[in-house]
Formats: sequence, C-alpha cells, structure tokens
Amino acid sequence: MELQEIRGFIGQQAPFNHLTAAQLSRLASAITIQYFRRDSLIIDAGVENQWLSVLRSGAVELMLGGTDLAARLGEGDCFGYPSLIRNGLTQNRVVALEDCLLYRVPKAVFLDLRTENPEFGQFFDISESARLRQAVDKLKGMGGSVAQTAPVFAAVKDILRRGEVIRAQVTDTVAAAAQIMAHSDVSTLLIYQDDSLVGIITDKDLRRRVLGAGLDTALPVTACMTRDPRSIPADTPVMAALLLMLEMHIHHLPVTENGRVIGVIGASDLLAHMGSNTLQIANRIRQAPSPARVAEATALLPRAVSGLIEAGVDADHIGRFVSSIGEQSHARLLALAEAEIGPAPVPYALVAFGSLARSEQALGSDQDNGFVFGPGYDPALHDTYFAALATRLCDGLHAAGYEYCPGNIMATNPKQRLSLDEWQQNFTRWIRTPTPEAILAGTIFFDMRAMAGETSLVDRLREHAFEMARENRIFQSFIARSAAGARIPLGFFRNLILEHDAVEGDVLNLKTQAIAPIVDIARAHALAKGITVANTHERLAQAAAAGSLSTEGAADLRDCLEFIRDMRFRHQGQQIRDGQPATNKLAPRTLSRFDREHLRDAFKIIRAQLDHLRSSMAGGVT
Amino acid sequence: MILDAGWRFARRFAAAARSAPPGPLADFYAAGLPDMKAAPGDMVAIDLETDGLTSASDSIIEAGLVGMTTSAITLATARRHRMRPRRALTGDSVIVHRITDDALAGAETEAEGLAKILPQLAGKAIVAHFAPIEMAFLDAACRRVYGAPFVAPFICTFQLEQRWFPASHRTNELRLGHVRRAYHLPDYTAHDGLIDAIACGELLLAQIARRGKGDLPLASLLRR
Repeated sequence: MELQEIRGFIGQQAPFNHLTAAQLSRLASAITIQYFRRDSLIIDAGVENQWLSVLRSGAVELMLGGTDLAARLGEGDCFGYPSLIRNGLTQNRVVALEDCLLYRVPKAVFLDLRTENPEFGQFFDISESARLRQAVDKLKGMGGSVAQTAPVFAAVKDILRRGEVIRAQVTDTVAAAAQIMAHSDVSTLLIYQDDSLVGIITDKDLRRRVLGAGLDTALPVTACMTRDPRSIPADTPVMAALLLMLEMHIHHLPVTENGRVIGVIGASDLLAHMGSNTLQIANRIRQAPSPARVAEATALLPRAVSGLIEAGVDADHIGRFVSSIGEQSHARLLALAEAEIGPAPVPYALVAFGSLARSEQALGSDQDNGFVFGPGYDPALHDTYFAALATRLCDGLHAAGYEYCPGNIMATNPKQRLSLDEWQQNFTRWIRTPTPEAILAGTIFFDMRAMAGETSLVDRLREHAFEMARENRIFQSFIARSAAGARIPLGFFRNLILEHDAVEGDVLNLKTQAIAPIVDIARAHALAKGITVANTHERLAQAAAAGSLSTEGAADLRDCLEFIRDMRFRHQGQQIRDGQPATNKLAPRTLSRFDREHLRDAFKIIRAQLDHLRSSMAGGVT
Repeated sequence: MILDAGWRFARRFAAAARSAPPGPLADFYAAGLPDMKAAPGDMVAIDLETDGLTSASDSIIEAGLVGMTTSAITLATARRHRMRPRRALTGDSVIVHRITDDALAGAETEAEGLAKILPQLAGKAIVAHFAPIEMAFLDAACRRVYGAPFVAPFICTFQLEQRWFPASHRTNELRLGHVRRAYHLPDYTAHDGLIDAIACGELLLAQIARRGKGDLPLASLLRR
C-alpha cells in the first residue's frame, strides 16, 4: 500500500534515510500510529517494550533510568531502541511533553531491518562518542560552504612554489647577497654554511639593517642576517604555519622535506591562499600609535574570523588566532599606556585569566585581567601609577571590543592589583578554606597567562597555585562538585526553555551551557594532577597521560569541545555576515538537524564525564 | 435516549439486512453489529473521494480505509480502492482531488470496489469526518449495485467535536485540517483518500485521549 505521506516523512529522518525504497515500504506498512496527550506516560521504565517509536509530531522527555536527568526529543527523533536491541526491559521512562503523534515500528521489523541494512543498523549500534567523532571528521572534511577544498587543511607543500632554492654562503658579502636577490627576483635569501642553513635575510633586513643603519655592504652577510631561522616541515598545515608566523612576528619560513630546504613560504603566500587579512591585523596592532588605532585593527577581527570559518579552519586554530590577537592587543595597549605615563616603577606582569589565558578566545569575549607586582612594590608609592595604567589599559581594551568584565576582574579593580606574595596568599586561602561561592567565582583564576611584562611572576604564581591545589583533596572535591553541578541541557530541542535572554528570548548559550562544563572538567583534572598548562586540549591530553582521565574520555571531550566551538564559530560567522555582533547565544530552532543531533551526543558525553568527575573526586567532603 | 436510538438503529439494520440479495452486502449484514454497550473494539476509518457532492448522480472514485481501535491505528490494514466514475471526470473534481481519468484507467467498477470495501467494514463501527457524505455515497452505491440500502454504525469525528468540545470551535473551523491542528496533529497533504482516512482516525484517537477512555460505550460515540 502506498503510504507516501508517512514514508516520505520517515525517509527524511536519520537513520531511516539509509533504508531502500522497499525496506521503507515494509517499515511504513508495519507502523502502528498512536496519540499521546501532553503529560501522559508513553512508556515506563522497567517494562517490556514492543516498539521503536518515531515522533511524527510533538515532543517527549526521556527520564534516564535511576537519575534525575532528562533527554528531550522532538519531531523526527526516535526512542525505545536500546531495550529492543538488548532484548530486555526499558531503562527510561518516556513522558509526552506536548501532544504527540507516534509512528511505532514493531520490534521484529526493526530488528530485521537493523540486521539487513548495516548503515541503518549502525546508527543504533554506535555510541554517542563514536557518532560525535564522525561528525567532527565530517565537518573537517566539509570545510566551509565556500571553499571546495578546505584550504587550511592543505599542507604548506601544496601551495609552496617549487624551484631552485636561492641561497648564499656565509662568506658572501652583503652586497653579493643583495645582487643574488635582485638577480633571482626573490625577497628572501637563505644563508648557508656549507650544507647547513644558518641564517636568512629578507628585503626588510636589507632596508633596516643595511641601508637604514648605514651598514658596510662589504661586510659578510652574517652581519645582517637573522641567525638560526625557524623552519617547518613541508607537511605542516597552512594554518599552523600562519600561526607560527603570527607568534614569532615573522613573515617567511623555510620549508624542509627530509631535512632539506625545498623552498621558503611567505606570509603573503599563505594569506593569498586563505584569502584573509589575518596577519595584517596583528601587524596593525603591533604598529598602532594609539589605542584608537588598536581598536581600528581589532575591528577587522570579526571579518577575518568569518573568512577563516568560510575557509574551513578548525575551531582550535581559530581560537588560537583570536587569542593571539587578544594577547597582542593587551601588550600593545599596555605599551602605549606606559609610553603615555612613563615606565613602571617596579617589575610587574599583566596577567590574563580565562579563555584568553587558555588560548581559546572567541569573538565577543570580555576582559579578565590583573597586575602581578614583583619585588619592591609599595602600594603607598606605586599604586597611583598602576591605577592610572590600568585605567588606560582597560579603557583601551573596552574600545577594542574586549568589553569591561561584568565581574570586575580587571586591573582597574584594586583587588586585581597585587604583589606576587598577595596573589599567592589569595590562592592559599581559596585552596585551604574553600567555599562553594568562592569556587564558583574563582575557578577562572586558575587559567592564567602573562600578556606582557615579567612573565616569570605569572609562572611563579601558577606554580604556587597548582602545587597547593594538588596537595589538597578537599579543595579538589570542591572544584569537582562545582564542575559537576553544571546544568547540561541534555537533548535540548526547539522549544525547551534554555536560558532566558532579554534581547534574544530563550536561547542556548554555547559558552556557559556547553563549553564551560568541558573547560571545568579539564581544569578539575589539571588541578588534581598538578598540570599547569592552561589550554583545555592540552589539559585533557595530560590528564589522560596522568591517568586521571581515561584516554577515551579525553578523546571524547576533545571532540565535544572541538565540535561545539566549531559550531560557535560557524554561528558567529553567520552573525557577522548578517551584520550583527557575535555572541555565544543561539536560538535552538535555527540549528540544523546535523548540529542538533550531534550537540545532543555531545551533551551526553559531557554529562557522563561530569558524573565520572563527581564519583571520582567530589566525594572528599561528604 | 441512547438506548432508544440504539434500538431504532438495530431495527433499521435488520430491515436492511433482510432486503440485501446474497452477495457482499448480505455478507456484510451477516457479520452483525458490534456490541453497542461495550467499549469500542475494532473500528475502521474511511474517507471517500467523489467526483461531485450529490450521491445520487456522482460517483465514489477512491476509498481509503484503515483499521483502528480507540488507542491505535494499524497501517498494515490500510487499503486504497480506486473506482471508475460512471461518467467522465469534470474539470472541477480533477482539480480538487488531482485524480485524472488516466489514473483511473486501472480502477475497478463500482461493484468490484464495493465487493472489496464491504468485507473490511463488516462487524465494525465506521469512522469518518463529516460522516453523512460517506453514509450517503455508500448507501447510493449499494442501492445501485445490490438494490438494497447500506446501514452501518458510523462515528463522525466532526459531530463528536461539536458534541464533546462545543466551546473549542466556531462552526466554520471544523474542517478536518483545522480540528487536527487544535490537537497538534501534523498537516498532511489533503484529499488523498487513504491519508484522509488515517488523518480522521488520528483525530478520533486525539479526541478520545482528550475526553478520557472511562465510561465510553460504543453507543456514546456513534453519530446521532
């Protein structure tokens, strides 16, 4: 019997879209349709189940057996299969959240199709984590919608112009080197001692170190070259090469293959390939003569990020890029402030906390910073200076798009301007006498990184904090309980009330509801094992190495974080293209089916890891 | 009142049964009536597509049927019968039903169609949205083919909605799609006989779910 209307609906839903026409007909004609009014029980836990149920309309809540956790399913979702596959009793109780129409497939038909059609069956076999991993791989494979071949996943060798590598010897004079460059029409020249690469000179070096400085061109080229240049293997991803240039403030990198230099890649080659003005922003910030110019440069950031998203750059690299711009903005604004009010009277460091410290910044981040003072600091003598410095810095950051911190974690707050001793005492107090409120407000302080000044001050503070935390089980349990208290919107869907935003209505907040719990889990493990790196991926990897987290658990969380951050950047890219400010909030109804399903998988994984954290660490105080 | 109507109905059913010649219609009557005082058992939802609105002159061109109970619709029992109209299709009905003469080329005669439809209806309450149409067209067809009337227990979801939830609707909002939306039932493509039969059956499920299944003898559901 042709049941086009019903077949058509089911055939669109994953995994039913893998069924052949004949299989779909068989499934459709075996369906029993049932209607459940809102709030009625569809199936209880601990009973026999006869059906794989597909929601034709409405929404249900799955109360996960033995817990207070709930998954919510909407139109096109299916439930009831685990008990069919196990051939056992149901574990979840299912209640209608709205009036529901269910298409129910008999157990025998479902089990037959699952055996017959591996692609269909796989959906029900594999765990959430495997599905999520496939999703991340798929996103990586897809790249952006514009880019056919996901340019950033290309390796440097794919865009390197091959040909003779132009080189000079250390014994050549500056003049001879310049002639070689002019003759070969290259802007960089590799300097060799016999067969070893020992230096590099560029057009810019000739201008600055030779012509500008009046250097004698009869001197050996070693007088103006940059020694021991950093090189990269030919299979380095384009984005990684770009980030390295960004971090090292260089524009050319020799490329090696089997230990031999096969060419030089320039920033312009990378940028032409990526079609983006990413490096230009960093340059403009570094050279900005005023805070206003810094703000002009950072104003280009959303478009640059949008370009990177379009190009299919993965979230981790975009996060590092955005953070790198953030770091340079901090450093430049601080330098401009010092230039205005004079040099600092004592050694100090500008420290950033939170996502910037973790190199995981997204667009629209607010500022979290403070000063750490070195020896000789006397508030009575010096605080006026640093208060003035802080005002200039924080105002400049605000103007550059790093808005004032609503929690007042800013150097303008006297509590954020402390000597190393005072900072250390603060950490000691938090760790020795933790309170839930202090933990909730204080965890981001454990993600710290120096933006400028005496980096060693921040290093010492970090070592102190992590050393104290590692020895204190009670503190760890507070951290773990705080993390595990996160409310995960498990299986959210269209009209679930997520977070009420005055402007945007009910939204999913990707930062607080999805990313923060993963960051918290990684931090809890880091504190327990004395892992001092701040980056979440690195924390997860080291936590797995230290045995605090299973290898699989770490990989799952890494995939979750990557997926959610990718989603956030894609969302922000869309906002930018729509001419709106980038936010972390999105309306669930705007999610694609792909994102919705995988986000649900991600939430399940996060929930499981939070439970694990609670059982393994949070027990210390109860 | 219900008892009274039930008694009158049983008498009409018996009279019609006596007038039916041996064959599909007589077999239909031989299956008898479902128990009116008990909770409804097996039912069948039906929707007829016709080439006009006058049962005397117009024809059934498609019948969709699906078996159901008060809690479930079983698609394994879904059937669609296409019947040849007695005259060429008019432009208007083609537009409404999107059924053309070509599509009906392989269809059955009225007699062949009835011979297949009647056994499916035998012994069951018949569910339709605005049942007078289905009642009239089946009756007219049976009178033409067998020379005897068609009498059967009908449940009309249109009337049930008016009777059970009069405050919910204005009269002009009682078309199937409108009423379904009030129960958050999905929008189906209209005017396919089988899908409309399923849609009507789903509406009955929703109406019964809203009213509650307690104290619900079949007689209380039947069209009055």
